[in-house]
Amino acid sequence: MPEEPNKTTPSNLSVITFIVILSFTCAIILSVLASVLAKPKEMAKELDRNKEMMIAAKMLSHNGYFLIENENGDYIPAKYEKDGFLVPGSIEDIPSRDQLLKVYEKRLIPFLENSKGNLTTFEAAKIDKNEYISEHKKTGYYKQPLKLLYKIMPNTEKSEVDKKPIGYVIPVNGFGLWDAIYGYIAIKPDGNTVIGISWYEQKETPGLGAGISEAYWQDLFPGKLIFQETPSGKTDFKTAPIGITVVKGKVSDVLGTSPKSKSAVDGMAGATLTGNGVNEAYKSVLEAYRPFFIKIHDQYSKV
Amino acid sequence: MADPKKPMTYLTSQLWKDNQILVAILGICSALGVTNRLSVSITMGIAVAFVAAFSAFFVSLLRKVTPDSVRMITQLAIVSVFVIIIDQLLQAYFYSISKVLSVFVGLIITNCLVMGRMEGMAKNVTPFPAFLDGLGAGLGYAWVLFIVGGIREFFGFGQLFGFQVVPLSFYATAENPNGYENLSLMVSPPAAFFIIGVMIWIYNNINKKA
Repeated sequence: MPEEPNKTTPSNLSVITFIVILSFTCAIILSVLASVLAKPKEMAKELDRNKEMMIAAKMLSHNGYFLIENENGDYIPAKYEKDGFLVPGSIEDIPSRDQLLKVYEKRLIPFLENSKGNLTTFEAAKIDKNEYISEHKKTGYYKQPLKLLYKIMPNTEKSEVDKKPIGYVIPVNGFGLWDAIYGYIAIKPDGNTVIGISWYEQKETPGLGAGISEAYWQDLFPGKLIFQETPSGKTDFKTAPIGITVVKGKVSDVLGTSPKSKSAVDGMAGATLTGNGVNEAYKSVLEAYRPFFIKIHDQYSKV
Repeated sequence: MADPKKPMTYLTSQLWKDNQILVAILGICSALGVTNRLSVSITMGIAVAFVAAFSAFFVSLLRKVTPDSVRMITQLAIVSVFVIIIDQLLQAYFYSISKVLSVFVGLIITNCLVMGRMEGMAKNVTPFPAFLDGLGAGLGYAWVLFIVGGIREFFGFGQLFGFQVVPLSFYATAENPNGYENLSLMVSPPAAFFIIGVMIWIYNNINKKA
């Protein structure tokens, strides 16, 4: 129902009053909303971080069901039995929130690494875990004297404390094209082979750089080596370049089957700068953990 | 145009005759960006319909007291409030979808479609028709996104709603190199550009005959 526009010009005072009232109303609505939703939002975020860590550690698939390794080393769908123990299941066994958290708490144990390759627990270092994790997220745990990492414990019925870990998860952060990116990389006990990766927080271009958080791209990483091999097929852990390189185009086209190709993955078309950011993140973060990798590799090759 | 005597025509005319994407070519940027999965397209469609409908209602409610010189700012403020509400709700309860939509939810504020309805309709009519008009514009946008998303997910991933539709046995493997392959063009935003172009062409052909 079209109406005649108001012809009289309102005074400046009434315009200002109108805008002030409007702004206040909007502000009140938004602050009430923000405080009501603060708790569920924080919980959703934390659950998402835990899920992404489990995805990197290949304990959870991108489609939401649990994974376990069978005798051949293949990952098969699993379901929750009890007390965080997983048995073979099907892809329809989507776990509940509580089951996810239970498995997470049982099998991913945080530790601090002291830059020489030795691990201590948060209790022994007298550091508050939650405070440490939230305080150093932005600068990166790898820049701290005590660096965060998680042991991946095997899937056993009983919780044995001194069981050998089946891998380690390292938190990774760096800068993408638009903003900081945060993720995880999981490494096998040989200190070299990648189990999996994930990115849990990124603001890259949707459809291009945002591909770093998609399954098809993350699936390129398992089996890659973080230490670059020499042409003779040996790896000098003390001096070898460290990191995973995202190449421009396809690895097979750019590097062929050279030793470098074992430490490189295909790039995403139209996302070269995101790829560069990812390269830089892996390089600087993994470099900081180099003493730790050397140490676990030595222990691994002795056995 | 909508018939002022029948409020429902405000909604129905937006769905087909005055469709914001196909006729006015508005809201294209998000239509290109978020339509490579059906689930994301639907969420985006619902979000825009929600924002457009409620913002139109409140813009119309305030139309008599809004000074003409600041009406755009007023509309923007109202639209922003609803965009933030939907963004926060998604973050709290649908975190995985909000991660995929990322910047596009925030960008609903600058979606030309929403501002177009505020300025072109809501500020001139009473709240109820304005609400229907906004809702219709959002739903008209949603169904176009739904079709584009469906086509792109089917050809780009061989899936619909994340479920495999093209049997995995059709796919090319090392032994069977002549098998089916996903069209990777469909995954990238330019594909939506072509699809929307073709849809506008079909739309114009249908309407020419009528």
